[in-house]
Amino acid sequence: MGDYKFAKDKLAEVVGALKDYEVFAPTAVGDVLRFKQVEDASGVSLDYKNTNVPPKELMFPETETLFKFRVGQTEIEPAVPDESSKRLVFGIRPCDAMAYTIVEKLYSWDYPDPYFEGRRSSSVLFGLACSEPVPNCFCTSMGGGPGSEQGLDALMFDLGETVYVKTLTDAGEEAAKAMGLEAAGDAEKKAAAAQEKEAQGKIKRTLDTEGIPEKLPSLYDHPFWEEFSDRCLSCGICTFLCPTCHCFDIQDETEVFNGRRARMWDTCMFPEYSLHTSGHNPRPTRKERTRNRISHKYSYFPEKFDVIACVGCGRCINYCPVNIDILDILEKSKKAEAKEAKTA
Amino acid sequence: MSEEFEPNIVAFLCNWCSYAGADLAGTSRMHYLPNIKIIRVMCSGRVNPLFLVNALQQGADGVLISGCHPGDCHYLEGNFYARRRFMLMRKLLEHVGVDPGRVNMSWVSASEGAKFKEVIDETVAKAKEAGPMEQFRRRQLNW
Amino acid sequence: MVDEKKLREKAKEVLARDDVRRLIGWKRGTYGYESAPVVIKDASEAEELIFDPTCVQNPASFITLEEKPPVPRGQEPDTRKVAVMVKGCDSRAVVQQLVEKAYPRDGVIVLGVPCTGVVDRRKAQKMFGDTSEPVLIKEEGDKFVFTIDGETKEGPRAELLADKCVRCRFPNPLVYDELVADEVAVWGADEFTDVDEFEKKSPEEKWKFWEEQFSKCIRCYSCRNVCPMCYCLECVVTKQRPQWTRRSTDVSENTAYHIQRAWHLSGRCIECGECERVCPVDIPIMTLNRKMTRDVKEMFSFEPGIDVEAEPLLSCYNPQDPEEYIM
Repeated sequence: MGDYKFAKDKLAEVVGALKDYEVFAPTAVGDVLRFKQVEDASGVSLDYKNTNVPPKELMFPETETLFKFRVGQTEIEPAVPDESSKRLVFGIRPCDAMAYTIVEKLYSWDYPDPYFEGRRSSSVLFGLACSEPVPNCFCTSMGGGPGSEQGLDALMFDLGETVYVKTLTDAGEEAAKAMGLEAAGDAEKKAAAAQEKEAQGKIKRTLDTEGIPEKLPSLYDHPFWEEFSDRCLSCGICTFLCPTCHCFDIQDETEVFNGRRARMWDTCMFPEYSLHTSGHNPRPTRKERTRNRISHKYSYFPEKFDVIACVGCGRCINYCPVNIDILDILEKSKKAEAKEAKTA
Repeated sequence: MSEEFEPNIVAFLCNWCSYAGADLAGTSRMHYLPNIKIIRVMCSGRVNPLFLVNALQQGADGVLISGCHPGDCHYLEGNFYARRRFMLMRKLLEHVGVDPGRVNMSWVSASEGAKFKEVIDETVAKAKEAGPMEQFRRRQLNW
Repeated sequence: MVDEKKLREKAKEVLARDDVRRLIGWKRGTYGYESAPVVIKDASEAEELIFDPTCVQNPASFITLEEKPPVPRGQEPDTRKVAVMVKGCDSRAVVQQLVEKAYPRDGVIVLGVPCTGVVDRRKAQKMFGDTSEPVLIKEEGDKFVFTIDGETKEGPRAELLADKCVRCRFPNPLVYDELVADEVAVWGADEFTDVDEFEKKSPEEKWKFWEEQFSKCIRCYSCRNVCPMCYCLECVVTKQRPQWTRRSTDVSENTAYHIQRAWHLSGRCIECGECERVCPVDIPIMTLNRKMTRDVKEMFSFEPGIDVEAEPLLSCYNPQDPEEYIM
């Protein structure tokens, strides 16, 4: 599509020009970065690694009203997001944008989810390519990369004093025009390509995923899972901070005469996740749950949708309190001998 | 009509002393403020401090827990445990920024109808001073 | 100073016993300034064990985290002992768990590790940057010496110690079957000045502070799960029938959750600080817990996790308990 650029010190102006859009950008509260709606364009900065909570919360909020109801009314009041509103996610990393392409496969699979679709289709993703990967990034092993274009409408490269913008879709073009960007030349394109190559070289942790989806089910009874599940806390950090994890719980919340049905993030790491009404729990201990999570992301999901449900952002590694390292698990799964697996 | 704020107070009264004391206030035709909603429990020691938090979430502007005088508990020790618990809960809520005037406790015996009236008056006055409970009230109450 | 060789020898000895099922300790992490808690079942795995200033986690949490599923018919449950390596702060968790009868004293073998403080990872990251290679940290006098990506770097102890270590009063384990190193001198004191500072705020300021903090909460429950004292089989927060706290993540429910947890920890929190360390959105949870710890000490002259013979705070009473505000 088009090639544009703008001077980095004009960032506030450029973002401020997006008056027709609701702009979301990484906002800091103390040391914590999250994507929030931008009130003041001068607070936007391109100087960050990645947000703690992934931008999945923009498409799939942690708590979302599905519909409301009231005594005396015969119809529910759905709360489907307005597809005509224009949103722009500024500075999303390529891994997080690629995560949307993975999650979309599920949300449009057998029943198109109007809540997710409503938000996703009205959002323009203005990505920011990575120049300094975080130590635990492994996007290159998952089909992505610091300059990957998957899922994005435009991709920015921070070249120091200039920012090169490559638009990838019509929506990206429209936004670039609204921002009033000038055209870029070959110098910027070359610098961007060089930065991408350099960033790829800086990624230290890699994994060859060949054969993993096929191998994992055969390790169902293997004791190697215990090394990780023994120290798992069953907290929700890996799932809540994962850009591709997408499970939710639906609860009705009522006051006396009115109420709402809401959905909120749920995690397969909690024992309640698989608790049946009868009281039986097919995944009662952490061993079953850790095994299930890894197998789902790296075997069951690819089996259905042909893509591993992981983008290599590294948040699960960075934030796990007990150093459960998914790359470590997968490396060990490759080495584990299926014949050592006990049959229960 | 003045728009003065009328607080909603939830009162947990122990069956043997405080509830009977409230009953006495009623049969003696003492007028006490209508702001309180009474929940009868068998003993003040039964009151889980989380009831308090839940009440504040649901829109109560103040809470009262009332039991037998220390040493006179019908179940011998219940009110001693309650005393420890609510001392701590009040401090915790104060630390979060909740006005301590919202959390009230009293010892009212079955013969103290007049004291019950005074306790209610004081509880309502403190809740009025603290104002409507907005802090961590459930916002979806009136969708 | 702890000699890791001696630590491993001790571990092997313990694991070789017939009546020991597993041993909980620490091992080298997979990247950066991390260490990982490890549960080993065989003496051959003892070579992985380490003890250095990266070992911040509390192994006592893992004694109660272990699930005990029903065993198949004809099998007997494995009632052998669990061995656990604990620093001073961690041993307070073991003491408090014993006070509450979470398990019998002869169900655990406690290997006490006198500790001279752990490094706060955030502080280290800010000082030296991040890396995907595991970092080695040694203590030398009043400095910490780091080996990061092959290079040696130094930093002053005072700036790198975790906050809980700066005020540590119990570097030596309070309960143990064996000590793996010599006891160390106490260096810290705790005047609860941070609690006093916070109390100077007005109620409006306090609520404004907490509202901002609690609206960040994503209810991952890491704080609860990592806590050695949170071991209820069914937590009130996740109870569905009846439901106390809704699962939606608004300020009301998040505040209720944190108040409930701080309340359930009053008189029980042993200040290992793990809750605050694990929080992915940096909620200052210890601020709440330390307020309760200070008040419990002042009002009831009680400190949890010190005396194995003590009674739990809220299971007993004193007829002379304070009752200042009671009408």
